Amino acid sequence: MNEILTVDNLEKVYPNGTRALNDVSFKVNKGEFLVVIGLSGSGKSTLLRCINRLHDPTAGSIRFNGSEVTELKGSPLRSLRAKIGMIFQHFNLVPRKTVMTNVLTGTLSRTGTIASIFGIFSQEDKKRAKELIDLVGLTGKEQQRADNLSGGQQQRVAIARALMQNPEILLADEPVASLDPSTSHSVMNYLKKVQEELGVTVICNLHFLSLVREYGTRVIALKDGKLVFEGPPTDIDEQWFQTIYGEDAVEVTIN
Amino acid sequence: MTEQTLENKAALSPNFASPTKFVKALILDTLIWAYICLASYKIVYTKLIIADRFASFSWSQPLTCLGLGFVLALVIFFTPLSVGKEMFLANKYDRDHKNPMKMPFAFVIYFTVFLTFISGIYVSQVSMREFFSEAGLLGAQRIFGALLAPNFAIIDQAVFAAVETIYMAFIATTIALPFAFTIGFFAARNLMSSSMWAFGVYNITRFFLNTTRSIEPLVWAIIFSVWVGIGPFAGMLALCLHSISSLAKLYSEQIENISEGPIEAMKATGASPIQVIWYGVVPQIVLPYLSFTIYRWDINVRMATIIGLVGGGGIGTMLMQYQGRAMWNEVGLLAIVIAAIVWVMDWSSSKIRAAIK
Ligand SMILES: Nc1ncnc2c1ncn2[C@@H]1O[C@H](COP(=O)(O)OP(=O)(O)OP(=O)(O)O)[C@@H](O)[C@H]1O
Ligand SMILES: [Mg+2]
Repeated sequence: MNEILTVDNLEKVYPNGTRALNDVSFKVNKGEFLVVIGLSGSGKSTLLRCINRLHDPTAGSIRFNGSEVTELKGSPLRSLRAKIGMIFQHFNLVPRKTVMTNVLTGTLSRTGTIASIFGIFSQEDKKRAKELIDLVGLTGKEQQRADNLSGGQQQRVAIARALMQNPEILLADEPVASLDPSTSHSVMNYLKKVQEELGVTVICNLHFLSLVREYGTRVIALKDGKLVFEGPPTDIDEQWFQTIYGEDAVEVTIN
Repeated sequence: MTEQTLENKAALSPNFASPTKFVKALILDTLIWAYICLASYKIVYTKLIIADRFASFSWSQPLTCLGLGFVLALVIFFTPLSVGKEMFLANKYDRDHKNPMKMPFAFVIYFTVFLTFISGIYVSQVSMREFFSEAGLLGAQRIFGALLAPNFAIIDQAVFAAVETIYMAFIATTIALPFAFTIGFFAARNLMSSSMWAFGVYNITRFFLNTTRSIEPLVWAIIFSVWVGIGPFAGMLALCLHSISSLAKLYSEQIENISEGPIEAMKATGASPIQVIWYGVVPQIVLPYLSFTIYRWDINVRMATIIGLVGGGGIGTMLMQYQGRAMWNEVGLLAIVIAAIVWVMDWSSSKIRAAIK
């Protein structure tokens, strides 16, 4: 198949000795919506941050479009990151800056350092930013301060910022964990749209199985840093659920 | 129930696992008890009991007390009175479950503070008799009388000197700004702990900041006045240097408190380190920086006045000259002008800082 990402025997040990990932291997196909599930502390965030190298893996290999990325440094590392968008649980927008500026930060890797310090972005980039702001349904809010928007709106700004990178993969670390149920669905729908209409591969950490079933095309599950499940969302039955989340877990749904 | 007792046992016996902590605790205790011995002997015994006003100094006393302190510390270490044990070896259970203000070791601290207070009164020669002596009261009356009748004839000179002081402070602050801004990043632990090399730079920067800051601007002014000659320039250099290190310290602390989120997000877009700082760090710190800087200018105006006293120019120097000639009416006017500046600076800087919050 046309794999975009291949992870082999990935291992991450933090300096304090915590083994957050332990021999994790999986493949990601172009255009799929891969969901990562697992208990809190199972290593989901660590996994995503190893993929775009915000964290350095301790051992193992990650291949992106066939080339090894675990050893990249400096400018090649930055061009790797440019091809991988990321959105976060707490949005991580730049405070005190407008929606427009926030979205434009997605172009930093291709904007010169001096130009970006003076806030000079190319006309095409500005036009594209405008289109993406429209795409995430924030038309008219371009000049508003991003940190004054509601949570759901901020997350949509973050999606637009990530799309500004023209990413091949979008990493989403619990993108809806700090949003209410209906806003969660709206944000998830935008992610789905990004995957289906723009053809961007999405790798998304989620907590709620109902969301997983609704949006994911494939699921992997981590438990104590190990990969314990891989398959379509429909395969997660009672049995698997208890393996992943523990004996006493009860499923909660979000509607 | 068993868990409870286990926890309690753990709370009672200190953790001797780490020898360095043990040594630190013992050193702290030794110093505290040596101080208690020395202060009790020098002040309470020599001054209070045998009323020796000019007690002589020799190294043998402090050294004896140090030895005595060590012996006492060794004994006390095994009692709940040990402060060092509490500071370095206590376990978390104790910290969370007991009120430290009421634990036995706290009384050692109370006693030390009390002893220091008593000693302080003797060392600063607090004397009610001198405060209320006839000659003293007469002098005070003369000065206050003159101060309350300021000589307004020199007001134009005074205002001119005050303007000089304010400008000196302003220039010192502005020149210090870009330096402090840059150095602040190098002194921020969270930005500088990525590699050994960066951490080395961090430590050197911290050392530089701590040493320059620990020397008073007044002392710097004296040093610079030998270097570039007495006058406003020396004063400005002194203020400038002190402002750089104080601002850089405040700035770096601000950087250490920012949220990692935007930094992470900027890194994830593939931004270069400078872009990460510009978009991930700077927007989080501009307002606190501005506020610190305005506050610094305010402080600098006051310091510039003081520095003027040692010849740094401006209104301080003028004050010194009139005071030297015992022209108290003129001094009175200068005091009013200085009070007015300080009040205006204080008020406007707090207003500006409140407005940009
Ligand atoms: N910077 C770090 N230093 C040390 N240990 C860490 C660090 N970050 C995470 N860990 C540890 O690594 C393990 C995995 O953490 P991770 O954040 O990847 O889990 P997660 O699945 O994302 O959890 P959550 O659902 O709570 O976000 C945890 O045990 C965590 O305590
Ligand atoms: Mg996480």
